Amino acid sequence: MPDAFGLVAIVTKFALYLGVLTATGTVMATLLFRLDRTRGLAGAFAVLGLVATVLAFSLRGANLTGDVSGMTDPEMLALLWSTPVGTALLLRLAGLSLLIAGLFMGRAGPWVAVPGGVIAIWSFNHVGHVSGRDTTLLDAALTVHLLAVAFWIGVLTPLKRLASSSTTRAIAADVGHRFGVIASVTVPALIVMGVCMGYQLVGSFPALTGTGYGQALILKALLVGALLGLAAANKLRFIPALRMGDPDAATHLSKSISVEWLIILAVLGTTAALTTNLTLPT
Amino acid sequence: MKNFLRAAMIGIWATGAMAHSPLDRTSPANEATVAEMPTEVLMDFKGDIRLTRVSITHADKHSMDMDLGEQTSFTQEFTLPMHDMGAGVYVIEWRGLGADGHALKGTFSFTVE
Repeated sequence: MPDAFGLVAIVTKFALYLGVLTATGTVMATLLFRLDRTRGLAGAFAVLGLVATVLAFSLRGANLTGDVSGMTDPEMLALLWSTPVGTALLLRLAGLSLLIAGLFMGRAGPWVAVPGGVIAIWSFNHVGHVSGRDTTLLDAALTVHLLAVAFWIGVLTPLKRLASSSTTRAIAADVGHRFGVIASVTVPALIVMGVCMGYQLVGSFPALTGTGYGQALILKALLVGALLGLAAANKLRFIPALRMGDPDAATHLSKSISVEWLIILAVLGTTAALTTNLTLPT
Repeated sequence: MKNFLRAAMIGIWATGAMAHSPLDRTSPANEATVAEMPTEVLMDFKGDIRLTRVSITHADKHSMDMDLGEQTSFTQEFTLPMHDMGAGVYVIEWRGLGADGHALKGTFSFTVE
């Protein structure tokens, strides 16, 4: 069982993933589907990402001293700044700030906000287990994986909002259909990249089943499997029914998205435990 | 499903304690018994690390932080002077930062007769 700092570190990492991925995904979906009223959503998650970024950096300082004094110890924080952790901090702060600035720039805003989000996502290549492997292929796999995840997460809340009103159900059907077309490419890419990274990091079947890291990956894969089931129901049943004007389909789609969100939170929580508290199999 | 989730979470927490401990060898060795108090301890890591905190606990009673003022670079081998606190078990807890930004920590002990 991790100590109190370990638990706070996992919760902070969870908030970091949720903030960066949802904010980036929301501005990506806004740009692609010309969505309205997404500024508050993207801004709130970007601020969550910023707060979690600073707290996660500070907690690493506490990890170096073993007590709370490390969170503000200039020597520890300067030491961290000199490593890839400092580079990741800089990229996240710059990327999320750019994203927030883009939210206030009118029609051109998404063209600023999306690159900001991509920069924040790219920061994950600089720290963690993938960065330790030092291979360009894995870096690219992680970036594609995270962009696909962000896009998926980002469309959920706007789509649910559109489906919940009778006046915007037709738009929800259109957005859902267009998302389904794009997801037929991005979701397989997400899975292929995830499997490639898992294979590279875990390396063998015994390591997959016999280590905490491998077991957490199995748990994550099961959750993603459940998510795919819901996504398939949305794409093959609810969205086509919504396009035909069936009002019940909107209710089903809305409930399905709520469950999708819960599973996504579980996936992000598992990933936070995986990357914060677990060592790779050797 | 519930049982699988429970088993998975126990597995996750159980191995969490082993995370990131790249200490290759120490002198005295871990759990060794020595006749005389060593004047210094040697810590040899598998990769470059910057030590950020090392504390010694003697016989579960006296605990003190070692002065790391001289240790200002990333390196693999550290020699730290020891203070003689008498016979008994010495537990050394260390924390550090890997050159890749990973926080590292670990513990080793030895007994002075």
